[in-house]
Amino acid sequence: MDLLNLNYEKYKLQNGLEVILYRDNELPIVTANIWFRAGSANEKVGKTGIAHLFEHMMFQGSVNVPKEMHFRFIQEAGGNLNGSTSTDRTNYFEKVPSNFLELILWLESDRMGFFIPALTQEKLANQIDVVKNERLERYDNQPYGLAWEILISSLFPKNHPYSWATIGSLEDITSFTIEDVRSFFEKYYSPANASLVIAGDFDPVEAKELTKKYFSEIPGKNHFEELQIKPATLTENKFIVHKDNVQLERIYLAWHTECAYSEDDAALDILTDLLTGSKTSRLYKKLVFEQEVAQEVTAYQFSGKFAGYFVVIATAKPGIMLTKLKEKIFAEFENIKKNGINENELLRSKNGIKSGFIYSMQNIDSMADQLNSYNYFLNEPNSFNYDLSRYENVRVENLLNLFEKYLSKPFVELHVIPETEG
Amino acid sequence: MILNRAVKPTPNKNILFELPQIEKFRLQNGLEVLFIQKKKLPIIRLSLIVNAGSKFDPDNKKGLSNLLAMVIDEGAGKYSALEISEEFDTLGANFAVNSNHDKIYLILQTLTENFDKALELFCTVVTAPHFSDEDFLRQKRKTLTHLLQLKDDPEEIADTVFSYVLFGEENPYAFPTSGYDDHIESISVDDIKDHYKKYLTPDNSTLVVVGDASVKELIEKLDYHLGWWKPEGLHFKLNFNTKESANQIFLVDKKDSVQTEIRIGYPSSRRNIEDFFSKLVLNTILGGPFTSRINLNLRENKGYTYGASSSFGYLQESGFFIVSTSVGIENTANAIKEILDELTKIREGITDTELEFAKSFLVRQFPSSFETYRQISSNLTTMVIHSLPDNYFNTYLENLQRISIKDVNKAAQENIFAGNLSIVIVGDKEKLLPQLTSSNFGNIISTDYIGKATIK
Repeated sequence: MDLLNLNYEKYKLQNGLEVILYRDNELPIVTANIWFRAGSANEKVGKTGIAHLFEHMMFQGSVNVPKEMHFRFIQEAGGNLNGSTSTDRTNYFEKVPSNFLELILWLESDRMGFFIPALTQEKLANQIDVVKNERLERYDNQPYGLAWEILISSLFPKNHPYSWATIGSLEDITSFTIEDVRSFFEKYYSPANASLVIAGDFDPVEAKELTKKYFSEIPGKNHFEELQIKPATLTENKFIVHKDNVQLERIYLAWHTECAYSEDDAALDILTDLLTGSKTSRLYKKLVFEQEVAQEVTAYQFSGKFAGYFVVIATAKPGIMLTKLKEKIFAEFENIKKNGINENELLRSKNGIKSGFIYSMQNIDSMADQLNSYNYFLNEPNSFNYDLSRYENVRVENLLNLFEKYLSKPFVELHVIPETEG
Repeated sequence: MILNRAVKPTPNKNILFELPQIEKFRLQNGLEVLFIQKKKLPIIRLSLIVNAGSKFDPDNKKGLSNLLAMVIDEGAGKYSALEISEEFDTLGANFAVNSNHDKIYLILQTLTENFDKALELFCTVVTAPHFSDEDFLRQKRKTLTHLLQLKDDPEEIADTVFSYVLFGEENPYAFPTSGYDDHIESISVDDIKDHYKKYLTPDNSTLVVVGDASVKELIEKLDYHLGWWKPEGLHFKLNFNTKESANQIFLVDKKDSVQTEIRIGYPSSRRNIEDFFSKLVLNTILGGPFTSRINLNLRENKGYTYGASSSFGYLQESGFFIVSTSVGIENTANAIKEILDELTKIREGITDTELEFAKSFLVRQFPSSFETYRQISSNLTTMVIHSLPDNYFNTYLENLQRISIKDVNKAAQENIFAGNLSIVIVGDKEKLLPQLTSSNFGNIISTDYIGKATIK
């Protein structure tokens, strides 16, 4: 599709920083989006959550930008900003009126190159408190909020970097020192370990000059430790019961799959849609619509740089046993294996994915982030058409193979049940 | 040349932003349409805004409007519930029905190439829903289970209780859109049909369209598909008295919570052109963006929370001011004290720097609020809900620029601490009571999850 074939420019500064320029002058706004190739997978047991805490510290100012002013300068320009940490990377982004491009490049380069001298114990202590509250608010105090952590720590062995949550354990979060922050910066925050996307309304000549002006003098190393992660497997099923302050019982089933962009990655995504993506999807229709044994059911496929997993989650209606939900889920798997998948079902999923690609192009921030994501995983920012073709090429037999290859292997079964029950 | 990084770069040119043109027209059946053409992508987005939100729910049938929204797309015209979903999916179109206190929204997003077929389905749902017993009962059971699940969510509980105690039980805005379980039990499929017949009419609705289409094409297609949808000529009037009461703390016990949800606020003026912009600037300084006073104090200075914010909320017939945050249990009383101090301080006046910052933030972010089809659609929806003048967006920047320190200080006097203060706290009562009783913020009243006082 022409619409998905993007015109962009990519080059490297001498210090190794990758720069990707994508112009779209529909509106007078511009965005900068930086990916550092480090996330919670680069952490060690006992230091979980440092990548995310580090992300917070990056908003606490740098040599030429006092505390709070990073936010204030961007907001004064009418911009918005944020960052996020995943297992594989950390990103930082801002969107401003196009005449403020130089401002955001100045701010991003200052914290990329001149962060450490501005680091203080006071700032760290404050952000440890903030992140502690973030964890309590978004995980511990949420219904079913700890389920994910329990699930991945059961699915992966103790030293596997996907076995802990990105937010980190409360114990680890409270233990971080200035030295931990500094050493994380020195290990991963170098221009050669990052890529900068500038997207929106800008003049390419000016953007290149400004990028050179602000980023080229940042020193940094060129070699980064490559994680060597052995594929994880389960040798037998694991069963866990967790009590929580909730009304309804919920079952989680999780299987190992494969990394992002591997052979079956797209087929697994389509399978989640066929199982639970709409009212007519297999599990939703049976469990929620027809039999009303579940209030909701969701299938989810995570695929990262180092591993992937497939999860089915079902919340039981009052009075329905989780073992019964589990039986019904597996019965539907058997039914699909035996009777196959209808071409129309597959077409509906593919059409939804295709239009989803176009809907997602409305927003310059998400375009910039996607360019960085393709660059990170595929070394080619303009991969929208390739990505779509991965889904369009999935055939019924690819989907049926997934059951044998992944979903008949050992799995983790987690039951979350109300505290008042036995 | 050595780069001097200590100097903050400033822009050397201005930007040019052209507001999209709003087209307004009526269909033959009287339905008003607001349209903005946007051709960047082959997308069309439609929102039918129906004046049928939960404020119209009868006294003993709270949840009726939401249930209507839940069941309207479960079968219509020649399609069963599953077939409607299947048809939209085949087109790669997104269709959803939502409701809030004021309105029911039917929203469609489709690729231009599938617009005709998607529009036909959309109009079938609007004009010919089945409301079969079977579909109704299934959605009713689903809603009842959903209400049970809401008891798990401390944020939801805090918001529900806040509305209840703020407006008082005589007011239609006091009740949650999702309703009450005993009321929903008593709702019949005939109630749904009556409600549909009474409220889902072209003269009680507005259609907002954004995307790759033309006025001529829209009029033709909409007249064709909605021609037999007829107006009823009814007008609805409700009473919106807010109660009088003293400053009070409403405490909801959620045993074993590890954080405390806090809501602090009071009634405020409804949206009107006279004070909207001064209240907007005021809140930008007080509790809007990250660097506003409340967040900097509670998060970046004290470390009590992951985030704290305030806002002026606008319902069609009413308004309120609210501060929201979630804090560690041990800091609950401290956080409330800091918030109340910030409210006291803002009444003492703001500075020139704060005014300039707030105006700069609001003026410069204006173009980016017209980026996505959804944003543009939601801007038009705001115009509809609050009956804003046609030139509202054309005069937006002028209206903002005109705001002076005097205007903001006046807004603070008129809107902060102007009514009776309600403080809602959701958390572990046993751990919270000692802090709260020694702090003297007001009478402590224990309530249940929907805001009704519980007897000790």
